[in-house]
Amino acid sequence: MSDYLEILERSNTGEYITEENWDLEKVVATSRRLVKKYGLQWDRNQVVSDDPSLADAIYQAGYEMAVELGVYCRSTERIIPIKQDEIDAGITNTPQALVMGEGKDARTLYARKLGDERPPLFFGGPPGNPIPQHQLLPNIISYVQEPLIDLATCGTLTEVDGFAVRTGHPMEIVATRLECQIMHAALNKVGRPGMGMLGAQSSVSELGNLAATQPRYLRPCDSHLIPLLNELKIDNRNFSRVVNSLDYGMINASLPCVIVGGLGGGPPGSAVVNVASFLVANVVCRAGYHLLHPIHVRYVSTSTRDVLWVTSIVGQAFARNAPSIIVADIYPKSGTGTKELLYETAANAIVNVVSASHLEGCGSADGSLPNCSGLEARLMAEVALASHRSKMSLREANLWALKLLPLYEHVFTQGAGNPGLPFDQVYDLSSVQPLDFWYEMYVEVKAELQEMGLLL
Amino acid sequence: MIENELIAQITRAVLDGDPEVATDTTHKALEAGIDPLRILNEGLMAGSDEVGKRFESGEYFLPELMLAGRALKAAMEILNPSLAGKIQTAESQGSLRVVIATIQTDIHDIGKNIVASMLTAAGYDVTDLGVDVPLKTILDKAAEGGARVIALSALLTTSMPYMKDLINLLEVRGLRQKYIVLVGGASVTEGWARDIGSDGTARNAAQAVTLVRELLKS
Repeated sequence: MSDYLEILERSNTGEYITEENWDLEKVVATSRRLVKKYGLQWDRNQVVSDDPSLADAIYQAGYEMAVELGVYCRSTERIIPIKQDEIDAGITNTPQALVMGEGKDARTLYARKLGDERPPLFFGGPPGNPIPQHQLLPNIISYVQEPLIDLATCGTLTEVDGFAVRTGHPMEIVATRLECQIMHAALNKVGRPGMGMLGAQSSVSELGNLAATQPRYLRPCDSHLIPLLNELKIDNRNFSRVVNSLDYGMINASLPCVIVGGLGGGPPGSAVVNVASFLVANVVCRAGYHLLHPIHVRYVSTSTRDVLWVTSIVGQAFARNAPSIIVADIYPKSGTGTKELLYETAANAIVNVVSASHLEGCGSADGSLPNCSGLEARLMAEVALASHRSKMSLREANLWALKLLPLYEHVFTQGAGNPGLPFDQVYDLSSVQPLDFWYEMYVEVKAELQEMGLLL
Repeated sequence: MIENELIAQITRAVLDGDPEVATDTTHKALEAGIDPLRILNEGLMAGSDEVGKRFESGEYFLPELMLAGRALKAAMEILNPSLAGKIQTAESQGSLRVVIATIQTDIHDIGKNIVASMLTAAGYDVTDLGVDVPLKTILDKAAEGGARVIALSALLTTSMPYMKDLINLLEVRGLRQKYIVLVGGASVTEGWARDIGSDGTARNAAQAVTLVRELLKS
């Protein structure tokens, strides 16, 4: 702990800089310079690059950025410098295997390699989607009852007993604890009580998170989020989460949601920022694993060409240069009850699994509505395993992405998006089974994928 | 001919996000006797409109937008004294002031930053209060700066109720009619914006600028 407290202290002693100047003079300027220095480019028809030198250059640029910039503490408006040997120690010490859960339901997450012969693991759940209280139990069950799902996550509660949940308010404690209790109830219901969880999704400030670090809620074998703020920033709320879990022994999942088209600029600069974010997260988030979740500056979703490119190249960059446990968050634009959701899920699954990531999903409908169900998580796992079994190459994965993108890209420019239907209109809440029309849609898309050559 | 070149250089400086060139060429344009209104409309605003279009089309990203805002702000400091009395009364100056913030407990700022940059680039006097801003601070700053518009952002569904709280506070203080209150964020819908009594929401930054323009006209 004391070495971490030393880093924490730097947030009080580091160089003062306004946040705007950090953004423009540090992050933007460094990203632009490194993209130019390394000649980084992306090609919209090479969603999955098979050029190892590009992945290595992205990694090297991200490494330089991490060493050069460190991380910004928003609470104190100071730069926390991170020494090169600390970045290197973070890479050396990052877990290569990590047990989540307990007993027969425990799973071992591992740092994947390109072409890894071991199958990827799957977190099932809609991370952060707001779910009505009466639907949360069946919604979680819909994911964790799926045999291919290894680990659990869930949506968030926005109301408890009719009272609005507010961040930083006592209701956050109530909601976060209730969410964890409902997760355990769901795992018990499906006979998988030891399944590892990524929980406390209803906690945004440190309040709910701290209140949930008890075995009744989150066990030491579970994990919780330590977000990095956009870009390369942290604050005292998140430091509080880290010091609490370091003492408690719970697993930290770093979550830098790099904005593609944000401060990093286009896809190459955003990929560089994402690499730098994971490297500093080893140090300031004490991450056991990293969630790969870049989002599009206008369309949010991870399914766009440029965001898929970023997820693939960042996964490859780490697999080749600094093997780490990386879990790609799948956030489709479309919601349940639409075929586009299933195409988006398939594209994300293929691109990320061949690029050495595990998967989490799906935050359907941009994670902003309760329009999500376990059925798309089933497809996510099936498609990923089919890609894995067939030893799909990066080049083949690119061809798959190019086949799938035209089937759903129109949703990004639809004014209202493509939200589909809420969970209770696509699943029977009593039996927790998909309604016929939704199941038939899944069967149709699966048949289409098989016809296209996927060995499902 | 020289006038046209200077105007084009001002536009280019905004497009390039270069505050030094923007201020330098604005100085030169004033010294050359170019009408300040022409510098504003054909130089600076033309540049900012083009920046907005390029961002919406995906050609420009957030850095270009933020840097253009910086260039525009720097040039306006040079131009403002010459514009005084030419286009705006004190009252209409006030109508151009916007206070924007990510509401208390929420720390997400990219969407808010984009809207702030687009509003700045569109010529509004934007005070960006940052993230996790307490309701009282927002109200105090809006009153101090004589703002006409309060723009609130929240990504988190569990921070959105604080937007409603701010509107309620304005109502109980008898200040609701003084401000146009806009709300935005990934989970904010038109229905929700209406239900909490705001004056509207927009799907993206360009629509937010249009909405502000329309509401200030009405």
